[in-house]
Amino acid sequence: MIDGGYLEKLSYITGNEAAVLGAINGDAECFFGYPITPATEILEGWIKKAEENNNLNYLQTEDEIAAGFAVIGALLAGKKAFTATAGIGHVLMQDPISMAENERLPFVGIIAQRGGPSTGTVIYSQQELNLASYGGNGDGLRIVYSASSVSEVYYLSQKIFSIAWKYRFPTFLLTDGYLAKQRVNTKLEKYLKPFPSSKILREMKDKPTHLRNCYGSEIEFANILKRNIADYKSLINKVSESESYKASDSKYLIIAHGSVASAAKDSVDILRNSNVKAGLLRPITIRPLDSRNIRRLALKAEKVFIIESAFEQFARMIIFKVPEIANKTVKIYKPAEGFTPDEIASLVNEKI
Amino acid sequence: MTKTIDKNFSMPKCFNERSKPSLYCPGCGQSIFLKHLGFIIDDLEIQGKTTLGIDIGCSLLAWNFFNFDIVQTHHGRSVPVAVGYKLSNKRRIVMSIMGDGGGYAIGLQSLLHAAFRNNPISVFVLNNTGYSMTGGQMAPTSIPGEITTTSPSGKDPKNSGKAFHGPELIKQISDNSAYIARASVSNPIMLQKMIKKTLENQIKNNSFSFLEVLTPCPTNWKTTASESFNFLSKMEKEFPIGEMTKNEK
Amino acid sequence: MKNDLTKIVISGEGGQGIQTIAKVLAESFKDSGFYVSYIPQFGPEQRGAPSISFIQYSTKEIKYPRFYKADYLIVLRERAIPATTTFINSKTKVIFDSSTIRSNIIKQSENKKEAVPATKIAYELFGEKNLNLVILGYLTKYFSLNKNDVWKIISRNLKKKFAKNDKLEDEAKKAFFYGYEIVAEKKIFSKPTFKTEKRIIYTKNDKREAIISPELCKGCGICIEKCPVGALKFSDEIGVYGNRIPEIDIDKCIACGNCFRFCPDCAIKVNKKK
Repeated sequence: MIDGGYLEKLSYITGNEAAVLGAINGDAECFFGYPITPATEILEGWIKKAEENNNLNYLQTEDEIAAGFAVIGALLAGKKAFTATAGIGHVLMQDPISMAENERLPFVGIIAQRGGPSTGTVIYSQQELNLASYGGNGDGLRIVYSASSVSEVYYLSQKIFSIAWKYRFPTFLLTDGYLAKQRVNTKLEKYLKPFPSSKILREMKDKPTHLRNCYGSEIEFANILKRNIADYKSLINKVSESESYKASDSKYLIIAHGSVASAAKDSVDILRNSNVKAGLLRPITIRPLDSRNIRRLALKAEKVFIIESAFEQFARMIIFKVPEIANKTVKIYKPAEGFTPDEIASLVNEKI
Repeated sequence: MTKTIDKNFSMPKCFNERSKPSLYCPGCGQSIFLKHLGFIIDDLEIQGKTTLGIDIGCSLLAWNFFNFDIVQTHHGRSVPVAVGYKLSNKRRIVMSIMGDGGGYAIGLQSLLHAAFRNNPISVFVLNNTGYSMTGGQMAPTSIPGEITTTSPSGKDPKNSGKAFHGPELIKQISDNSAYIARASVSNPIMLQKMIKKTLENQIKNNSFSFLEVLTPCPTNWKTTASESFNFLSKMEKEFPIGEMTKNEK
Repeated sequence: MKNDLTKIVISGEGGQGIQTIAKVLAESFKDSGFYVSYIPQFGPEQRGAPSISFIQYSTKEIKYPRFYKADYLIVLRERAIPATTTFINSKTKVIFDSSTIRSNIIKQSENKKEAVPATKIAYELFGEKNLNLVILGYLTKYFSLNKNDVWKIISRNLKKKFAKNDKLEDEAKKAFFYGYEIVAEKKIFSKPTFKTEKRIIYTKNDKREAIISPELCKGCGICIEKCPVGALKFSDEIGVYGNRIPEIDIDKCIACGNCFRFCPDCAIKVNKKK
């Protein structure tokens, strides 16, 4: 039994269940979604909670496009609203997300990554990085988190609402099919800095809110985009996060996120046990990346290993931000397949 | 823009004067509809409670048309936004305005499901038998033989279907309590009556309501005022004006 | 190496046939042996916004359709001035319609301006629909193009329109060749009389009062069409888009309310007096 402060009890829980509980703790009131593996339990779990709690609203929509636009409708009314999707549903979701990106709406989505493209597998991947980060027809001014444990799914599912409503960019939490469905016993931690929502359509007759996303001329729109980019740049240092494990004196730095990072943490210990000075840097935000920390640790290392369950999506983002490490970086990728700690340890050993 | 406007003049009170003259073309039927919608909103005294979602198409030009909250959405997507918004703020009177393309092509899925679920929103589809903002392409509601930029030899029903009858389709799956009708700007008095009934079905009965309005597009039809209303008469033969009667049980 | 790329901006009201002017001019340059590039400004508000076109001609192939500063700016309506001022630098030669634009609002030195009162000429002699033909005539001379060749291009481009009515082609031809002979105004310009009135027009008798607002009327003609007693007809007053607006015979009017009900822009109403 855990007592005191902010730690809640030890729970036996799946990632999707944690997402629902986390969202509710993050003051979410509305959920719109469409069944798609491996995110469906979020839809079903929310509905169960809504049947016990009149404050919670939902609708199973006719498709993901409608789900996303219904989320927009709800947040225009001042409600913390979100959707959960995966795979090809995530592709359809780019239509409403693009509108949210243009109009600076606090759109929140939980994405349980699965094998792609197309229907692929319903199981697991890290291949929806590009889509979550840059998927619409804009420049990708979005905030993207990657959870690496069920406990972190719970924590970040609360946080993303506050981040979205504070900074007004579409905000996503990436999980994957393994995290979504895996049941573990774990500690759940409360997010202590909730940021309130407010009515975006302000219902004031004498000062009506007129929102648009379509502009008449290049210059008119360019000014809007410039302002959005400036706002995005100013949040980078406040929002970007990463975690390191035995990285400060590591010769061989592993950079990984999500489930792969969890396995990599154990790989670091396996390697250290055989006298290989390995370390892990785990970005928690994919967008914006904590490039300061990445640069600081990567420059010290002799070799860098970027490991992901996608073909170079994560590697491309890291190297773009820290190009100095390109020549000493080894890219290890297995699209739509997971890694075990032993596997990572031996893959790293091969390249040393 | 400072303009000389007589305050006792003929604009609805809920109009945003600063956005007039509007960007709609001369003779636009959508403009006529919006005026009568404004008068009914004044009449029902719901300006303070109204939220409007608009589509991408000529309806996008209405983004600052009225003095109440308006949100421009995506093509075919004003209905799901209205659904999510109404669910979250039941006291608002929530309306959606689309063209025939947004309503019956790209947005048909959401429109049908909103009717099917009896979501208590009011949807207006303005039918001018074509995609106007993009220059006059063929639409589901284009009449067989109609010449458009994507049916330069006339719409061929063999590969494009005949003329799409939206209200009739929606009637098949909607709840008995829904109000579904078709009006035309050729009869402004009936148009106003139907707009009022559409909104009252949301206000009083908390039910879905749908009004298709036949509107001329002189720019893409390339017609004079007289020719526009002639084509409108032709449309009224294809698309009957009136209220759709209740479903048989 | 001399830069022989010539950049032209033409702008005016949507509906004035600006794009026709641009199309014909571009074709003429092409037929004269130049490489050309022509692109209209296209945005969603094109129908209600000023119409702008960008033409370039050169002895070399043109790679990029847009430019920041024009060698020639042709502007036909005041509403188009704010959008086109940005293309003026010290070298830009401006040709404007003095019957619709006051010279002093064009930010350019006087010796780089010249004017043609084209709208006045069109309204008075050839019908307002031929405004663009008058301008085309003038520009044909200005750019040293062959007037007969240009006319051939015009009749090819407007073939469909001319097919509706023989008289249209005759009037257009007259307007074009008249424009060709115009001597432009320099330094001293006509007063712009073809501008939208900034006032409301009241017409009354002892039974009723009609209110018509030129600042709202787009000249669609629906009220004229719908008046059951023919009390409305087009007048010489100018509305929002440089169009003619209706005037009312208040004694014929029966205050039925049709004009008010049908007007898309709330530009006309008749009130019965108590």
